[in-house]
Amino acid sequence: MTLRLAAFGLITSLFVGVIFVITKPLILEAKEEARIAQLYALAEPLLADGTIQTPISKELPSDAPTSLERPLRITPIANVASQIGAVIPFRSTEGYSGTIQLLIALDNNQRIVGLRAIDHQETPGLGDKIDTRKTDWILKFNGLSYLDLSPNDWAIDKDGGRFDSFTGATITPRAVVNALRDTLNYLNTHPQLLEANP
Amino acid sequence: MKVVTLWLDGLWDRNPALIQLLGLCPLLAVSNTLENAIGLGLATIFVLVLSNASISLIRNLVDDAIRLPVFVLVIAALTTCAELLVQAFDYPLYQSLGIFLPLIVTNCLILGRAEALARREPFVISTMDGLAQGLGFFMVLVSLGAIREWASETLILAALPPGAFIALGLLVALHQVIQSKLKHLRAKVIANTKDRRVRTTGDIS
Repeated sequence: MTLRLAAFGLITSLFVGVIFVITKPLILEAKEEARIAQLYALAEPLLADGTIQTPISKELPSDAPTSLERPLRITPIANVASQIGAVIPFRSTEGYSGTIQLLIALDNNQRIVGLRAIDHQETPGLGDKIDTRKTDWILKFNGLSYLDLSPNDWAIDKDGGRFDSFTGATITPRAVVNALRDTLNYLNTHPQLLEANP
Repeated sequence: MKVVTLWLDGLWDRNPALIQLLGLCPLLAVSNTLENAIGLGLATIFVLVLSNASISLIRNLVDDAIRLPVFVLVIAALTTCAELLVQAFDYPLYQSLGIFLPLIVTNCLILGRAEALARREPFVISTMDGLAQGLGFFMVLVSLGAIREWASETLILAALPPGAFIALGLLVALHQVIQSKLKHLRAKVIANTKDRRVRTTGDIS
């Protein structure tokens, strides 16, 4: 019977494997489409004057914060004459469960044009309020730049900062705000990282 | 006759959501909008029909010692496939269902039907039972989604978790009222036919 159980395990795994192989290209395509749609939604204010360019990858210096992926994948936004902004991914590993993947659009003055949590497994009903499908919490960052606030204000209210944390979930908004602060702080001192042609 | 009872049980008399109260976790959590409810309902029907069908096919190959692990394997594999397929063909739906799509694996309704029926009955009956129970669950999930989406325009509570409990409670109550009326009616019909029979015999004698 043990052998039989093992055989069933093998058969079901094979079955899942076949479906996985069949759906893989379709899933990758769907993900890419969703990513581009997200880029459009995120950088919308910039797109009145510019278009989304091909993404480029950049190596990061060793002192870069862990919130930035290595290599950094930048999507520049440019008009005919020059670059007017960029979209970059960043992440937080301090969330309640798993990594929170975020995407941010910045203009040339490093002002936040758009910010979204694009992938996360935060608790439904509590931590998932960082998602625009649930609440508009994450849109409150629009229009801010790092230098608008003092470094201490770049934190959630429970940590003495300026941003709301929602009832019942502190860890998730703290993770997002801290990762955002680290990212903006670093980009502020390394603006060349956002430039497509330095 | 058995087939008729099977459909009646799944859709009404022993509806999985209204009488057996199985699968409440996704039922309450994903019924906040109609679209989510339809998506999760279809995915649940998919897994339930295929799990009942395949468990019925292998019912003579598994003994009591390995029954449960094999059933769980089958259900988990089917759920993973459902997740991959939704991801491939409707990525936005996959994103809005989030964790509840893989959680179909923990829906007691599916293991419940495998244990209660599919492990004893032949292929056609089991598959039909999966469809009947799945549709019964789907109907309640979709009604709940429609009611909550409609009510939340005026009453924000309807979109929140307590609203799910209240709306489901109302549906269960409605089902009970109709059910007792039906029983009453059935009893009356039977009584009437009996009366007539008595009178008939009376006339003859």
